[in-house]
Amino acid sequence: MLIELEGLSKIYEVGTQEVRALSDINMTVAENEYLAIMGPSGSGKSTLMNIIGCLDTPTEGSYRLKGQEVGSLDDDELAEIRSTEIGFVFQTFNLLPRMTAFQNVELPLIYGRAARKVRTDRVWETIDAVGLKDRAHHRPSELSGGQRQRVALARALINQPSILLADEPTGNLDSTTGEEIMQIFRQLNQAGNTIILVTHEQYIAEHARRIVRLLDGRISSDTVS
Amino acid sequence: MEFRETLLSSFRTLRSHKMRSALTMLGIVIGSGALVAVMSMIAGLNQSVSAQFQSIGTDIISVSKYPWIQMGDSEDFRNRKDITLADAEAVGRLPSVGLMAPNIHTRRNIAYGGETVRYTLVTGSTAEYETIDNYLVDSGRFITNLDDDRHRASVVLGADVAEELFHLRDPLGHDIKVGGKRFTVVGVMEAKGDIFGESLDDLVIIPITTFQKAFGRRRSVVIDCSPADGVSMQRTMEEIRQLLRIRRQVPRNDPDDFAINTQSDLVSGYNALTGVLYMAMVGIVGLALLVGGIGVMNVMLVSVAERTREIGVRKAIGARRRDITLQFLVESVILTGLGGGLGILGGSAIAFLVKAATPLPAAVTPTAVILAASFALVTGLTFGVYPATRAGRLNPMEALRYE
Repeated sequence: MLIELEGLSKIYEVGTQEVRALSDINMTVAENEYLAIMGPSGSGKSTLMNIIGCLDTPTEGSYRLKGQEVGSLDDDELAEIRSTEIGFVFQTFNLLPRMTAFQNVELPLIYGRAARKVRTDRVWETIDAVGLKDRAHHRPSELSGGQRQRVALARALINQPSILLADEPTGNLDSTTGEEIMQIFRQLNQAGNTIILVTHEQYIAEHARRIVRLLDGRISSDTVS
Repeated sequence: MEFRETLLSSFRTLRSHKMRSALTMLGIVIGSGALVAVMSMIAGLNQSVSAQFQSIGTDIISVSKYPWIQMGDSEDFRNRKDITLADAEAVGRLPSVGLMAPNIHTRRNIAYGGETVRYTLVTGSTAEYETIDNYLVDSGRFITNLDDDRHRASVVLGADVAEELFHLRDPLGHDIKVGGKRFTVVGVMEAKGDIFGESLDDLVIIPITTFQKAFGRRRSVVIDCSPADGVSMQRTMEEIRQLLRIRRQVPRNDPDDFAINTQSDLVSGYNALTGVLYMAMVGIVGLALLVGGIGVMNVMLVSVAERTREIGVRKAIGARRRDITLQFLVESVILTGLGGGLGILGGSAIAFLVKAATPLPAAVTPTAVILAASFALVTGLTFGVYPATRAGRLNPMEALRYE
């Protein structure tokens, strides 16, 4: 099993108050699944995504990624896992504005300490795969929203992660462009990638083969279409 | 992250905030610039002063009413009795004294034909002055004992005076006016050059007896002498001291009312002066670098805050703490390094200007450059550590949420 969550909770302390963002989550995700996490804002879906993405750690319970317990790792060990196992796609793309598309895509390889020659080849390959070969040396500000999200996708994919995590990936795109991005996700899933999508839009979630709904920090439904 | 990538990335960031980077560098530029400029000037000073010291000679004892370097009450100095020619002669007779040349000085106009050289140094002395004070005769001869004994109106011209009065003609044998009195030119000296912009060749030398007859006796005599063969400087100075105390009737426990100067007094006085200069420089540079460093820290903290989201993104895609810390540290060091570089260029430019515009032969030394560069880099490192560490420790999730 790729992901195993067991009795997972996340409690924030806001002032003197305890806020339970997640309560007793039990869930598994197999390889090559295409999963959407849905829920209204405040339901805990972002917290869940952050924990799965190793940006945050659970307060209680266990999270095993490829059999390895992740909950007790330190900062740098988590960074290592993010570098090798996770690819993030954000709603606001989160490209670094001073770098070209090429450099943005290359960055995870640099942090992963890949050799220069390997990097260049891999970046071209990946940028080509998202159809942006001729825009590689443009900065994000010179690219359209759809193109930016493709760059972000290429960046997420460059280290060939086990999980592609997308947080409202079409939220800042018009519907046509959004649809194009969803097409790429579909292809990626067909090619064997595991994809976890966080969204509050039903029609986006319907691209996935499994939908997990959260409400008040608990799983309210888990359906496979 | 590879260091090369870190460097490139840092340059990109600094370039995108040119104005801010430039302002931040200013303190460092001023600090390191001041360091290079002042050190270069001190080096130049050392060079010209040591040349002057060499012209004095290490074994010359110069007895005068006032010390060469005055520290203390000048009121007391003014009430001192003049040193007389008789005192000088008594010193010359001491067995521990080798050569002795009494000398007195005034400033007068020198005239020949239609030409006048104004306010020129007129020195009255004896034949020994040539050897002791290291004058070389270019043509003719120096003044002799015979000139002195007979109160002859003989004069030896400094190179500048000869040039200005006679141009290319030969001055030997011509009569000139020194302070309105007629003198015959018997010799012309070789040019000695400049020190601190003052020519050493703008003078004339006449026999001391003639000097006193022409310009009066009411002037304190300077006694230049050297120890006799095989006698130490120390012993010679002590004997001169005892002799003059007796002759000038200095009460037993009173301090000397005259000064015995040597080159080493000048050297130590000079060292005291440059020591103060160095301390002042350390203060200025230290302050500038401190202010500059605080500026750097401030800007780096702002930069970390502004780029919180970027840090979040970098961490999300696999950056470790040290990757982020290193990135900010390198930025801070590049900032101060560039500042140091500019400061070194600016300081060197100042040094060259000083050299071109003043007689001070300012010289940029490798030590100054290395020192300025390392101060700048160390400042960047020191004041960059805190912001960089803070950046590295940011929680990636919170950083990503930061607006």
